[in-house]
Amino acid sequence: MAVIGLPYKYLERLTGTDHETILARLPMIGSEVERQEADHADVEFFPDRPDLFSVEGVSRAMRGFLDIETGLPRYTVKPSGIKFTVDPNLATIRPCLGSAIIRNVTFDEESILSIMGLQEALHWAVGRGRSKVAIGIHDLDTIKPPFHYIASPRSRKFIPLDFERELSMDEILVEHPKGRDYAKIVKDFPLFPLIIDNENNVCSFPPIINGERTRVTTSTRNILLDTTGTDNKAVQVAVNIICTAMAETGAAIESVEIEGVQTPLLAPMERIISVRECCDLIGVELPATEIANLLEKMRFGAQPVDRGTVKVQVPCYRADIMHDWDIFEDVAIAYGYDKFAVEISPTFAIGRAHPVYTIAAQVRGILAGLGYLEMMPFTLTNERVLYDAMQRERSSRVLSLMHPISEEHTVVRTDILPLLLEMLQVNKPRELPQCLFATGDVIEDMRTTQRLAAASIHLNADLSEAYACTDAVLHELSITYIVQESKDPAFIDGRRGDIIAGGKKVGVFGEIHPSVLNAFDLEHPVAAFELDLRAVPGYPAL
Amino acid sequence: MAELTQNEKRLLAILEKEHKADAPHLASLLDATPEAVVQWAHLAEEKGLVSLERFVDKAFIYTDEGKEYLKHGLPETQLLKFIRNDTPLADLQKHAAFRIGFGQLRKKGLISVKNGTVSKVGESSTADDETALKNPQAGDPRTKELIKRGILQETETVTYRVSITLEGTALVKKSHTITLESEHKIVIGTLSRDQIISREWKNLNFRRYDVAKLPKRVYPGKTHPYQRLIEEMRQILLEMGFTEIYGDIVQSSFWNFDALFQPQDHPAREMQDTFYLKEQAPLPAGWEKVRDMHERGGETSSTGWGGTWNKKKAEQCVLRTHTTSLSIQHLAANPNPPVKAFCISRVYRREAIDPTHTPEFEQLEGIVMDKGVSFRHLLGYLKEFYGRMGFEDVRFRPAYFPYTEPSVEPEIYVDGLGWVEMGGAGIFREEVTAPWGITYPVLAWGLGVSRVAMLKLGLKDLRLLYRSDIEWIRESPVHRDQKVTKGGRK
Repeated sequence: MAVIGLPYKYLERLTGTDHETILARLPMIGSEVERQEADHADVEFFPDRPDLFSVEGVSRAMRGFLDIETGLPRYTVKPSGIKFTVDPNLATIRPCLGSAIIRNVTFDEESILSIMGLQEALHWAVGRGRSKVAIGIHDLDTIKPPFHYIASPRSRKFIPLDFERELSMDEILVEHPKGRDYAKIVKDFPLFPLIIDNENNVCSFPPIINGERTRVTTSTRNILLDTTGTDNKAVQVAVNIICTAMAETGAAIESVEIEGVQTPLLAPMERIISVRECCDLIGVELPATEIANLLEKMRFGAQPVDRGTVKVQVPCYRADIMHDWDIFEDVAIAYGYDKFAVEISPTFAIGRAHPVYTIAAQVRGILAGLGYLEMMPFTLTNERVLYDAMQRERSSRVLSLMHPISEEHTVVRTDILPLLLEMLQVNKPRELPQCLFATGDVIEDMRTTQRLAAASIHLNADLSEAYACTDAVLHELSITYIVQESKDPAFIDGRRGDIIAGGKKVGVFGEIHPSVLNAFDLEHPVAAFELDLRAVPGYPAL
Repeated sequence: MAELTQNEKRLLAILEKEHKADAPHLASLLDATPEAVVQWAHLAEEKGLVSLERFVDKAFIYTDEGKEYLKHGLPETQLLKFIRNDTPLADLQKHAAFRIGFGQLRKKGLISVKNGTVSKVGESSTADDETALKNPQAGDPRTKELIKRGILQETETVTYRVSITLEGTALVKKSHTITLESEHKIVIGTLSRDQIISREWKNLNFRRYDVAKLPKRVYPGKTHPYQRLIEEMRQILLEMGFTEIYGDIVQSSFWNFDALFQPQDHPAREMQDTFYLKEQAPLPAGWEKVRDMHERGGETSSTGWGGTWNKKKAEQCVLRTHTTSLSIQHLAANPNPPVKAFCISRVYRREAIDPTHTPEFEQLEGIVMDKGVSFRHLLGYLKEFYGRMGFEDVRFRPAYFPYTEPSVEPEIYVDGLGWVEMGGAGIFREEVTAPWGITYPVLAWGLGVSRVAMLKLGLKDLRLLYRSDIEWIRESPVHRDQKVTKGGRK
C-alpha cells in the first residue's frame, strides 16, 4: 500500500480549501487517513490509483469531489524539438522508453518531496520494484540534447548520485546502496542500459541510479524525464502521471521525439457507456445527465449523447480504467457510498450445509459428549513432528512448501495426532486428565481430506480407554469396522489396533509408545486414536 | 452452650425416661444404628449432658483349623494315642497328624526319640491343652499359644452404655424443644435407594448443606470457542439461504489468481506472499478464454492487461490464498442464476507469525449471483450479515480489490475501538465471470474470521486460536453474552 504524506499548506494551496474539509471527505474517494499530525497527514491510497500518489494528484481529485473544479483537466503539450534515440541492442534488455521535457518548474522543498515520493510510489505500484518501470528526473540545463538510450559496456564509469568519485557500472552494483538493492534486475545482461547526452555525459543507469551531474535541486527550472522499462503501457502511464502532476503546479509539458514518435500526448481516452448498464450495476436509477455530472466530479469529461448513453473522456493518468464497470464504480463513489438505500436482493435460494462440515459437526458433538476438548492446531507443520517424533517413516505423500518461512512450517500435515501431542506438550502445566481432539483437513497426494484425532493423557490412560473411545466414535458414526493388530510404531506393540472398514485401514488406536512420549516431553501415558472421516457413510466423493 | 443437634435432642429426650441404657437398645428406640447413637452421645458428652461408658468384651473364635481340632483333638493329642514305648519313628510318620503333632510333642517334652524309636516321657498328657482349646481364657498362656498357632482368634466387642447427667436431666426439663416429637425423624446425608422405595424418607430429615460455599468446578467436553464462532456464522448464512462450499487447499495459480483476473506480475502473486508448491496442475477446459481476457479483455469492454499470458505460470500450484478460488469454481460449475453460496475455510499467506498474523487463518466468503442484483444489494447483504453478527452499525468506504468492481470496504462500529475495517466486498469484474458464461452480476464479500474472533472473544493474540491453552477453552463459556454493538450516534 502506498502511504502519501500530505503537507497541509501545500495541499490547501493546490486545492483551494482547508485541510479539515479535505481530510474529512478523502476516505470517501477511496483512501485511509493513517495519521494526522500538526502540519501534515499520512494517507494510504490503493495501488490501482497511482495518480493519487502525489499531493498534486490528490488535490486534483479533491477539487472535483468537493465541487471546486470539475470535469476533465486539460493539458497542452508543445513539441520540444528534442530527440531521443534508442539502441536496438536494448530489445532483449530493457526495450521501452518514455520521456518528456518539463519547463518552468518552481521547486520548493515540499514540491520536490512530493515528486520524489510520487516517483518512489510509482516504482512500487506500477514499476513492480523498478523491474517493469523505472523513472529518472534530471536537471535539463546540465546536459545537451539529443539524448541516447544505449546498451553500454559494464565497465563504463561515471559519478552516481550521492557519490563523489567515478564508479564503473559493475562497481555500482556492489558499492552503491541502490546498486545492491536493484542489481538483480540487470546483473545477468552482458550490456547495461545507460542514458547519455550528446556530449557523452551520463544522465542515468536505469533502473539503478542517476548520475550526480543531473541532480535536481530547488534551483532546477527545467527537467528531462526518462522512464524505461519492459512494458510500454506501464512506461507511458508513469510518464503521464508525472507530467500531469507537474502540470498541476504550473509547469509546461513538452514532448520528445523518440525514434520518430512524439511523446507524451497526455490525451484522454474516449469511451461510450450505457446508462442502463451503469444503473443496473450500481442499483440506483440515474438519468444520463446526472451520470455525466457525477463523472465530472471524478474529473472525467462526460457528455450525455442521448438518454441511453454518455460519452466519457478518461484522463490519461487514470491507468485503472480498463472496463466500463471501472467508470461505473466512479459514478457510485461520486454518488456517495453513504447515500445508497441498501437492501438485500429478493433472490430465493435454499441454504444447504456441505456434508463434509455436517459430518465434522457430528464428530465434534460426539467427542464433546465423551468429555473431550477441541483444539484447532495449524495444518502447517514439519516432518520432525509429523514423522520422526512419532517414530514413523517419512511419507512421500506429504506436500512440501517450496519456500517455507520457518523450520517449524515446511509441510502440510498428513496426520493430526502428532499435532495433538504437541498441544498436550504445550499444556503440560495444566491439570490432568486432559482429553483433546481435533478435526479438520489433511493433505495426502495433493488431495484435501478430513480427519479426526483424539488423545487422552492421565495416570491410567491405556489401550482399553483408547479402544472404548474409538468404538464409541465408530458406533456413533455408523461405521462398521473390524480391528487388526497394528504395526504403527507410534504405539506400544501389543497395545495398538488398526481400524479396518470396507476392507481398508481407516484409522489406528492404542497406547502411545513411551519413546514418542519422551519425544514430546510428556510424562504420563496417552491413549489416542486417529480416524479418516472418509470412512463415514455419506462422506462425499470430491 | 453450643447448639444441640436434632439427634442430640432426641437422644436426651429418650434418656430422660430411660436414665441409663446400652447403645443398641437406644438405637432400636431411636430407629438408628448403635454407631450413630454413640456418635450423638459423644457430642452430648462433650457438653456434659450425658456420660458414656465403654465396655470391652474379649471373646475367642475358632479358625477353620481350630474347628477341626475341636472335633478330633489337637494333632499332638491324636499322635500321642499311637505312641507306645519304642514305637518305630517310621510307623508314626505314616500318621496324618505327624507333621504338626510330632513337633508339638517334642517341644512340650512329652516324648523322647532314641535309635529310630519314640517313647513317652512319664505320664505324658495333652489334657491341659485340650482344656484350653475347649474353654479358652484371656490371660492363660496355653490360650495364647493356641492363638499364636492360628487355632484361635481373639476378638474384642466394645459396647457403650449411655446415661443422662444431672445437667442433662435439668436441661430436658427446662427446654421445650427437647421432646420426643421428633422421635422418629433422623437426619441423613445421602438418600439411599431403600429409603426412597420404602417411603422411609418420610421419617427422615435431610442434613442442611452450606450453599454459600462454591463447588470445585467441573468442565464439560466442548468445542473450541473459535469453532463455536465459526458455527455461528455458518448458521447465519445457512439461515439466509446460502449453500456451503468445501474444496481443496491445493489450487492451481489458475484458479487462485488467473481466473480472478490477477495479472501474472501482480505483487500478491510473488513468492514472498504466497506458498508455492513444486507441483503443477492441468488447466480446466475453457482456460483459453481466461488467457484472452488477460491479454486483450476477451469479448468485453475491457482492454485486458496486455502482454503475453503464460500458461506455465497458471499451472503452478499454491496453497490457496483465499477462498475466492473455491467461489469462482463453484460459479464456473453453476453458471445459471440464482446462486447463493458461502465458504468458511482456511487460507494461507506467507507471513511470519506474530500476535496479529498467522500463516493460515479462516476466511469467510459469500457470493450471490442472480438476475437484477446490484451494488446496492451487496451493501444490503453486508449490513444484514454484520447485523446478525451483532454489529448494528455498518458503514461503507470505497476500496480496491483486483477482481471486483465496484469494490467496497465495510466498517463496523465497536465500542471502545471506534470504526473497524471488516473485510472487503465487491461485484466480480466481468473479466472474471465472462469466461465461464456467467451473464449476471456476482456479489461477493469476504472477511478474516480471526479478526472477528479477536473482537468477539476479546483476544489480543491470534496465536492462541491455534496453540490454545486448555485453561482458556475450559473457562470459555459455550454461550457468550452477546453484546450488541451500537454506534456512537445512538
